[in-house]
Amino acid sequence: MNSLAGETKAKLRTWWRPDVHNERRSLTLCALAAVLGLAIAGVGLFNARGTRVAGVPPEDAAVVNRSPILLSDYVVQLQALYNVSPSQATPDQKRATLNSMIREELYVQRGIELGLQNDFIEIRNSLVNAVEAQQEIDANATVPTEQELRDFYQKHLQNFQPEGLMTVTDFVAPDLGSAQRAVIAVRSGKDLPSAMAADGLRSSGATDDGEEFYFAAEQHLGSTLFAIAKRLHDGAVSDPIVDGGRVHVLAMRNNRQPVPEDYSEARDQVLASYRTEEIARMRAGTDRFLRERADVQIAKGLQ
Amino acid sequence: MIPLRRAPMECLRPMHTRYIFLLFAVVVVLIMVVATTVIQRRERTEFLQADADRILDDQRLAPKALARGRSVFMANCAGCHGANGRGSTATGTPDLTDQDFLYGTGRVGEIESIVLHGIRSGDDKGWDLAWMPAYGKPVPYAREKLPSLSPGEIEQLTGYLRALNGAVGEDPTAVSAGSLLFQQHGGCWDCHGRDAQGDTAIGAPNLSDGRWLRGDGSRRDISRIIREGLHGVSPAFRGRLDPVNARAVAVYVASLHARKENK
Repeated sequence: MNSLAGETKAKLRTWWRPDVHNERRSLTLCALAAVLGLAIAGVGLFNARGTRVAGVPPEDAAVVNRSPILLSDYVVQLQALYNVSPSQATPDQKRATLNSMIREELYVQRGIELGLQNDFIEIRNSLVNAVEAQQEIDANATVPTEQELRDFYQKHLQNFQPEGLMTVTDFVAPDLGSAQRAVIAVRSGKDLPSAMAADGLRSSGATDDGEEFYFAAEQHLGSTLFAIAKRLHDGAVSDPIVDGGRVHVLAMRNNRQPVPEDYSEARDQVLASYRTEEIARMRAGTDRFLRERADVQIAKGLQ
Repeated sequence: MIPLRRAPMECLRPMHTRYIFLLFAVVVVLIMVVATTVIQRRERTEFLQADADRILDDQRLAPKALARGRSVFMANCAGCHGANGRGSTATGTPDLTDQDFLYGTGRVGEIESIVLHGIRSGDDKGWDLAWMPAYGKPVPYAREKLPSLSPGEIEQLTGYLRALNGAVGEDPTAVSAGSLLFQQHGGCWDCHGRDAQGDTAIGAPNLSDGRWLRGDGSRRDISRIIREGLHGVSPAFRGRLDPVNARAVAVYVASLHARKENK
């Protein structure tokens, strides 16, 4: 017995000696490590709690299942709820604020687990808006060079002109003949009010408010009359126009065509338009990317 | 089994002494790296967890924050606000050195929020409650139905605002009509207040203090703003700036306001 025990001891001693090559030992240790790894993975997998992080990063107020609650958001929330800064807040106020934020985060995470985005239109809209907003944030953070802005301005010059202005009177004639006579009289030098009155033309009242922006004049005159008015010079009268069953004569007192503003004057609008175009470009790119990446299958008959 | 032969005294030979020295050096470097990281982390934690509004008064935190904030400002903000932070009335970029706050009251916490989430930046947590409508456009304001104004009405409003800021020689009839427009049909009072003193909760400027965000208060500049609108954007730096840098630049900007106040 003693010799057997001594032999076993000697074998074990040899088995553990690191300077002695032993394949069985290697395999045994490897198997033990594998079992230990599997055990740790199993505990991690079946543990109900999320993976813990090693402490809360300094920029966060809390971490909920690895989702941070930002300290800056917490401060804003304190301010919004109690109108106090962190150093003015009582412990109860701080606790209540943080608890409400943690609760919100837990509910958001639960909502995602439950796939509520499939059931609620508001959530779907919010998610779509949030992704679009991200593109807007990125576009707004781009700072184009002055040269890029100038190039953009030159390329879209027509977008940087203020509305045109006109002071026009729309006269309505009893018939085509009297309209023609009135037009000839004005063009031959007779003053406008008396020439119109002589042939029975009266203001339609559409544009009697004085100077108007082009868009307002178009609304008041209608597109046919406005298209003609736009081309009239100061002091000119139009030929008689038959529109909507009535005969009109337009008398232009003052027509200021839209002229693009100088770059320096329009720079803020140029920058805003540049960014708007950048947002549109990013959105188109994202749409394309998502489409390409997605497996979209459309039912027969709906293609 | 083949026992490996090893002579224990070999480890003390010169070659091994060199290895030991190398190991020692590595350990020293590691300790230094860990110590530096711990110190930096502690400083970072202290800075971020401090009450933002009190940092400027903290003799220990303020100097570092100001130095760091200035370099962040130069890299990210000076492009629009200028190296001296005085903005530009030509582009409608606010002056960050005066006491005329467009949003909030100039507290570090408020500025930090603007740095992180911006103004009209697209960030849901940013400031974006109102835009100055373009009253000379067919649809002045996309979010709310507002009437366009005629050129004459814009002139009257301009006259009223100029008179409000002490301009002499304005036509009293136009001023009176402009005042009526401001208080009623134009809807200006809704953001700027009945007294035209603005509202820092929504970024509506005071229109009676002689300070202008864009232009110099001339007839041309005022009527252009009413006609074309105004809605500047401050980008959201959340995700672009480290939280420490965001706070440091907020402290620096708050100090620009404070310095002027002290003078």
